[in-house]
Amino acid sequence: MSPTAARARDERTLHGDLGDRSGTAAVRYEARNIAKAFGGARALSGVSVTFEPGEIHTLVGENGAGKSTLLKIMAGIDQPDVGELVLGGEISRSLTPRSAQLQGIYLVPQEPSLMGELSSLENLFVGIIPRGHLPFSVDWKEMERSAGAYFQQVGLHIDPWTPASQLSIAEQQLLECARALTHRCNVIFFDEPTSPLTARDAEILFELMGRLRERKFTIAFISHRLEEVLAISDRITVLRDSRVVAEFDDPKKTSREQLVEAMVGHEIAVRQRRNRDLSSAETVLELENLSAPDGTFTEISLKVRRGEVLGLAGLVGSGRTETAESVFGLRRATGTVLLAGRPYVHRKPATSIAAGLIYLPEDRGRNGVFAEVEVARNITAAIVPHLPKRGLLLSQRAEQAVAGGAAQRTRVVTPSLGAPIKALSGGNQQRAMFSRWLLADPKVAIFDEPTRGVDVGAKADIYGIIDAISDSGVAVLMISSELEELVLVCDRVLAIYEGHIVGEIAGDDITLERLGAMIVGGSQK
Amino acid sequence: MSAAGTSSADQLAARQQRTAQVRRFMRRREPPLVIVTLLVFGVTTLLKPGFGASNNVSFMLATAMPLAVLAVGQTVVCLVRGIDLSVAPVLGIAAVSTGFLAQDHGDSVWSMIPLAIGIGIGLGFVNGLFITYARIPPIIATLGTYTVYSGVQQLICNSATVVTLPTQYEAVGIHDFIAPIPWLVIPGIVVTVVMALILRRTKWGRSLYAFGNNADASYRAGIRVNFVQLSAYTVCGTLAGLGGLVYLCKYTSAGYVSGEDISIQLQSIACVLIGGTTLTGGKGGVVGSFIAAIFLTVVLEAVIVLKINFDWENAVVGVLLLAAILVDAYQNRQGASMRYSLGRMFLSRPTARTGATS
Amino acid sequence: MSVEVAKAPRARRRGRFDTDDRWMVSLVILLVVELLYFNLGISSFWGGGWGGATSFLGESESFLYGSMVALGVMFVIFAGDIDLSVGYMASFAGVMMAEFHIGGMNIWIASVLSVVIAAVIGAVQGLVITYFKLESLLVTLAGGYILNSAAVAWEGPVPPYNFPNSYDSALGTGTLSSAIQIPNQLIIFAVLAVFATLLVHRTRFGRQLVLVGHNRHAAAYAGVRVSLTRIRAFALSATFSAIAGMCLAANYGTARDDLGPVLLLPAITCVVLGGVDIFGGRGRVAGVIIATFIIGWLTPGLLDDGVNDTWTLMAPGILLLAALTIRGVVERGKGVTFRDKLEARFGPTGGAVAAPTAAAPGGGGEQNVP
Repeated sequence: MSPTAARARDERTLHGDLGDRSGTAAVRYEARNIAKAFGGARALSGVSVTFEPGEIHTLVGENGAGKSTLLKIMAGIDQPDVGELVLGGEISRSLTPRSAQLQGIYLVPQEPSLMGELSSLENLFVGIIPRGHLPFSVDWKEMERSAGAYFQQVGLHIDPWTPASQLSIAEQQLLECARALTHRCNVIFFDEPTSPLTARDAEILFELMGRLRERKFTIAFISHRLEEVLAISDRITVLRDSRVVAEFDDPKKTSREQLVEAMVGHEIAVRQRRNRDLSSAETVLELENLSAPDGTFTEISLKVRRGEVLGLAGLVGSGRTETAESVFGLRRATGTVLLAGRPYVHRKPATSIAAGLIYLPEDRGRNGVFAEVEVARNITAAIVPHLPKRGLLLSQRAEQAVAGGAAQRTRVVTPSLGAPIKALSGGNQQRAMFSRWLLADPKVAIFDEPTRGVDVGAKADIYGIIDAISDSGVAVLMISSELEELVLVCDRVLAIYEGHIVGEIAGDDITLERLGAMIVGGSQK
Repeated sequence: MSAAGTSSADQLAARQQRTAQVRRFMRRREPPLVIVTLLVFGVTTLLKPGFGASNNVSFMLATAMPLAVLAVGQTVVCLVRGIDLSVAPVLGIAAVSTGFLAQDHGDSVWSMIPLAIGIGIGLGFVNGLFITYARIPPIIATLGTYTVYSGVQQLICNSATVVTLPTQYEAVGIHDFIAPIPWLVIPGIVVTVVMALILRRTKWGRSLYAFGNNADASYRAGIRVNFVQLSAYTVCGTLAGLGGLVYLCKYTSAGYVSGEDISIQLQSIACVLIGGTTLTGGKGGVVGSFIAAIFLTVVLEAVIVLKINFDWENAVVGVLLLAAILVDAYQNRQGASMRYSLGRMFLSRPTARTGATS
Repeated sequence: MSVEVAKAPRARRRGRFDTDDRWMVSLVILLVVELLYFNLGISSFWGGGWGGATSFLGESESFLYGSMVALGVMFVIFAGDIDLSVGYMASFAGVMMAEFHIGGMNIWIASVLSVVIAAVIGAVQGLVITYFKLESLLVTLAGGYILNSAAVAWEGPVPPYNFPNSYDSALGTGTLSSAIQIPNQLIIFAVLAVFATLLVHRTRFGRQLVLVGHNRHAAAYAGVRVSLTRIRAFALSATFSAIAGMCLAANYGTARDDLGPVLLLPAITCVVLGGVDIFGGRGRVAGVIIATFIIGWLTPGLLDDGVNDTWTLMAPGILLLAALTIRGVVERGKGVTFRDKLEARFGPTGGAVAAPTAAAPGGGGEQNVP
């Protein structure tokens, strides 16, 4: 559709009637030979992918493989260095987010990108606000009228005047979808929408995607959750190291192993569970009836033994992170925490670290790394009170040695210790984080989503690191939303549902099925 | 909402929506502000009856107007997460420029309006350029232009002061429209109402709120972010320029300290905050700032009348400012968790995303 | 990958030439250019010879207290905050010292006491900011005005004056000895400068300060006592301002409320010009020190040059805007796109709804009706 026609369509007063799609036939969107580099890092090389109408086409690949970049380019957010985009048979030139929307392409970003203080209503129409009678004016009545229909289309049941910040994450995503519809877009890209969602909310999203597929929308989808990818996709394209390496036309006949192999490039040694007998080890960490004043978790009681890996399974939002933060000292909670049998009161991060209790936070970008700071200093960040001194002043050289040693233990790959940590890949940053916490000489370690944002290859290494840590006698509490890794790494797993412990399984009883059932509320003791 | 049926579910939903609306109204800043203003006024009048006299009320309202006009401009800039610390000399330059011309050539107030506005547009635009294209953080950029503009103001004055103006200026500044409402209130109200309408009912206005809320998302939604910022600072400058003319009428004089002398920098920011707009942007409005200007003036006048040491004038403003931000913080309090940051100021840099993207 | 053998990562390469280094070099060049310019232009600037270079070094008396204030506010800026009360604090501390002195206290004791009290006030400001989670801009703005009023009220109709000559000389106008004509203030500043450099770059506190400035959240999760660090920064800022206030009063022979506030702008200018990121974390103290001399000698140099008084007041502002504009334009040229800047300034979750902003959890649904 030419920009003029698109603009004309935009100028028409919006109605809630979405059945009228005249002029916007089902469209195929092709990327041909796209290449893109950011500074020195190559994101895409000669990538060609076609998205057909009436299909859910999924992109999979490790972090850094280029999936998100491709979609961003196809949605006008980034510009390709080389290559072209063909929409409905016409070559698209210099796409901007705006022109992409006008041509019917919409990207639902990884984190909903909404205006928090504005009403959901207004969020729906940002950028395409219906004109009123006077020049420059805005027609609120019209917006109110049409909003309802759009909300219904996506299954959103909210008061349109609710500020967007008050919606749940699932509702926010649906709002983004509704925005795509208000923009009359029939090419919709979803960038990892299911990471923050519960299984039920993901179901709702998949239902919506299914309905859109029926209406011949062109849908692209990125996800790391291979089960759901295999379940809902019509076509899967695998990217690795900035190239397309495999395409699967019939996901029903594809196996998980095939996908993983394509993603990683070689067979990963399949890890086996190891069962250890820890019944004689003493209890190092004990929680008794830990509860949050705001109700995010209630009556959490557990024990972790020396050398044991206790997993905490649960859905996003089930209260596990809040529990961990309370133990570490970042949140208030009632109840008791016992370290090596002694009550730990007046908890604060600094005191925890001094006592040998460490916490690896879930959100590495925000709460973990200091992006601009060099790797060495990131690694020593938790032991600043113990940085080596020469005389009265800090010793640069000694610090470098300490950091270097720690980095070697977890095999951080970096051009130099003096490089800013943002230059490292996700997996290496996480290794650096592990180095940081190892330097603190922990007795109890809480790892929150230890492999988030880490590619499949590096995950195995992280499990190795966790094994080594627990073998050395550290009590490990591991929070994870990826059931496979809980099965593979933990000696025992507790399931948390809506802030309560609903089940506990140990040893070979830890299976995906049991865990999957428990975290959605089925209890098992 | 879908067309209302008569089912009880729909009625419940409608009732819930009304309650939500009422609750939202109750949370707005303007009603309590008006009440507190009236309270202060009432109490002071009780203690010193002269305070409530018609001519004093008129005096106070007139005094509040330069501040009100500037506060409206400052609000616009704060909505886009910025700040303008150069408003005082912009007001000053406009005041002395129009003042000297009027003094020497006897120009009327009306004919000076374009000049005042033009000066404001120019100076505000320059601010916008530094912030948008040179990408200097607003606080630094406007601190810099504040220095430069103050110098320019001094150069224009060249040690002289505006002393005699055509009587029209005094008439506008001091006389009443209808007692106790002075003529000077009219530009203030007009500016506020027009700005309020523009903010609520125009695309440009809504794009300010959108940008202040989420700059990246607004960019993606097609809002021209450079233009939004540039225009916001231009508008602020414009209103500061207009404020200069208002100042000239009110005080019928102008010199190289005009602007500075009424501490209008601090006070305009205080008005914005007291009026309910946050410095983090995307929330608030100009009506609150207008009322806050009146509130602040009444309080300061009360301080004088009640013979509280005037040396403490700045302290009073400071305390009120603190009170306003404490109230804001209280209303927006989060849980004790460190996970949540209480608003992102343009002064605190949030964590940049790191690592490879997928 | 799982089977690779990792070698120990290289230690930091000495001589890695990063942005900070580049900026430092530019500053040094700027300073040299400036000195040469004034030197060549005005013969009266150089006293001639090192020992007789009084007027050159002596000029520094006119701005060194501003430099001290700059060092003070620098700590706060490193931590990601800002302190707008520094100028007012300087005046207030001077007035406080003078009033104690008039009340009969030994002037030296009065000075020390004033500095201590100032530090406490600074810490209180920091406490208010961290405990109530308020913006430092606003609290210090308000605090500054409260201090200003206090100074005005305390000094009374006639600001205090008449300090002992030894005091005036030691802190204000004196030099080390008649043979070595180095102003005492320069010595004081040198001590403070060395202290500041070591504190920020070579102590644990300094490390924590910088980490807090880079990322407050990550610092908290890493066990840094963020609030305490910030409070200490505000206390330091107040201390340095107070010391500057003493020198100011000694130099002018009187303690007034209006001598200090004008120092704020040049101080922040020096810090920013010195390469410290206004958002915190990045920067070098040495850069700030060089910048204080660049800005400091600018005014007397221009005055000597016969430039109008007003222009010299504008000069720091012009210099600041020019320097930052160049930096901004250069970054643009390097392809730092607008979106990158937006991300850096407002964050990927800037305003994003998932990360709660200033909205209250239950309610606070204000419509954006102006």
